[in-house]
Amino acid sequence: MAMHPMEQFEVRPLIEHPLFQIAGHNIYFTNQSLFMVIVVAAASLFLTLAMGGGRMVPSRVQSMAEMSYEFVANMIHSSAGDDGLKFFPFIFTTFIFVLFCNVFGMVPWSFTVTSQIAITFAMTAFIISMVIVVGFMKHGLGFLKLFVPHAPWYLLILLVPIEVISFFTRLVSLSVRLFANMLAGHTMLAVFAGFVVMLGAAGGILSILSIGPMLMIVAIMMLELLVAFLQAYVFAILTCIYLNEALHLHDQH
Amino acid sequence: MIDPGTMNATTKQPASHEGSGGFPPFDTSTFPSQIFWLVVTFAFLFVVVWRVAGPRINGVITTRRNKINGDIAEAQKHRSDAEAASAAYQTALAGARARANAHAEETRKRIAGEIDKAKADADARAHEATAKAEASIQAMRAEARTSMTNAARDAAIEIVARLTGETVSAEDAAAAVKAGN
Repeated sequence: MAMHPMEQFEVRPLIEHPLFQIAGHNIYFTNQSLFMVIVVAAASLFLTLAMGGGRMVPSRVQSMAEMSYEFVANMIHSSAGDDGLKFFPFIFTTFIFVLFCNVFGMVPWSFTVTSQIAITFAMTAFIISMVIVVGFMKHGLGFLKLFVPHAPWYLLILLVPIEVISFFTRLVSLSVRLFANMLAGHTMLAVFAGFVVMLGAAGGILSILSIGPMLMIVAIMMLELLVAFLQAYVFAILTCIYLNEALHLHDQH
Repeated sequence: MIDPGTMNATTKQPASHEGSGGFPPFDTSTFPSQIFWLVVTFAFLFVVVWRVAGPRINGVITTRRNKINGDIAEAQKHRSDAEAASAAYQTALAGARARANAHAEETRKRIAGEIDKAKADADARAHEATAKAEASIQAMRAEARTSMTNAARDAAIEIVARLTGETVSAEDAAAAVKAGN
């Protein structure tokens, strides 16, 4: 049976019976749950075991862990300033989580956790809520100045609603960007994989032609690896930028 | 491809069905499970990063940075020490060279003085010897002349005696020699 390109995004329970209920909702242990556990276990092992020796001259794995650490630290420092570094654990976790989910999703037959809008939207909702809470904690009601650009009062009537809308649009843009990128890439891979199977099964000259979509899969695979890293980076740096706004309003840090 | 049986699956329970046909990411029945596991796994990773991995990586990086900075400072110190030693050596070398030059100059002057003195002495001795020799030459010449005159006088007396048998006095003979000279 030909695989449906969307089948890979189905969240199926691995254990038939719900584990328990929260507010009337059944909680299952699904294929996605399994991959989230795998991803988090791999990331935890990577970040702790790699540093096991804590050697002065790092091994390759240790060097990768240190590079990712410094990469995120520099990213926060350059986009949110010194006081942004308080949020380092959260942003580093976000970056590593998204990166590992994206990269593990590249493994054939795996499940791409970040290709689910529920996941990306939940993360985005948490980030935006955190930005709002941090903003009000730091500036009190002055945080509302974030929605008031420097402009004459008659323009503000127009601009303030736009600012408010654009602030909350981030909920959609941040979550859909990651979700759609992962979904589109994996759908494309599945479609081309379907072509390979169909041409291969057709027999004769068409079997030979199946090399075409096969090469396309290789190319898209490489592109998707880039996208996997890039989207993790974009997700993390946008989080930094939103936090920067909450910390410093419109001033430069 | 779409099984009519699964089309009837309500959104209440597709989590336990092969819920094909719809767009899987928008299947809201899976959302509670997704969000629950997201919270659990993300929180776990957060705690790992916050409490274990972050401090550990930071510790290693800080230790390394301190070590490198310490080493650089130490190397800087060694370098300035070496530069100071080199400067001291240069000064000492220049001093020694100046002293050696002064000493050589002094020696040269002293030797030149000695040579001049010795030369003057030698000159003086040579002059003295020359004068002495000239004097003796003069004396010898005079003596030779006297002895020659005497010989001529004696010869003249002998000649006269042989030719004439006369004896001529020495004084006459001497006067004649002197006149014929």
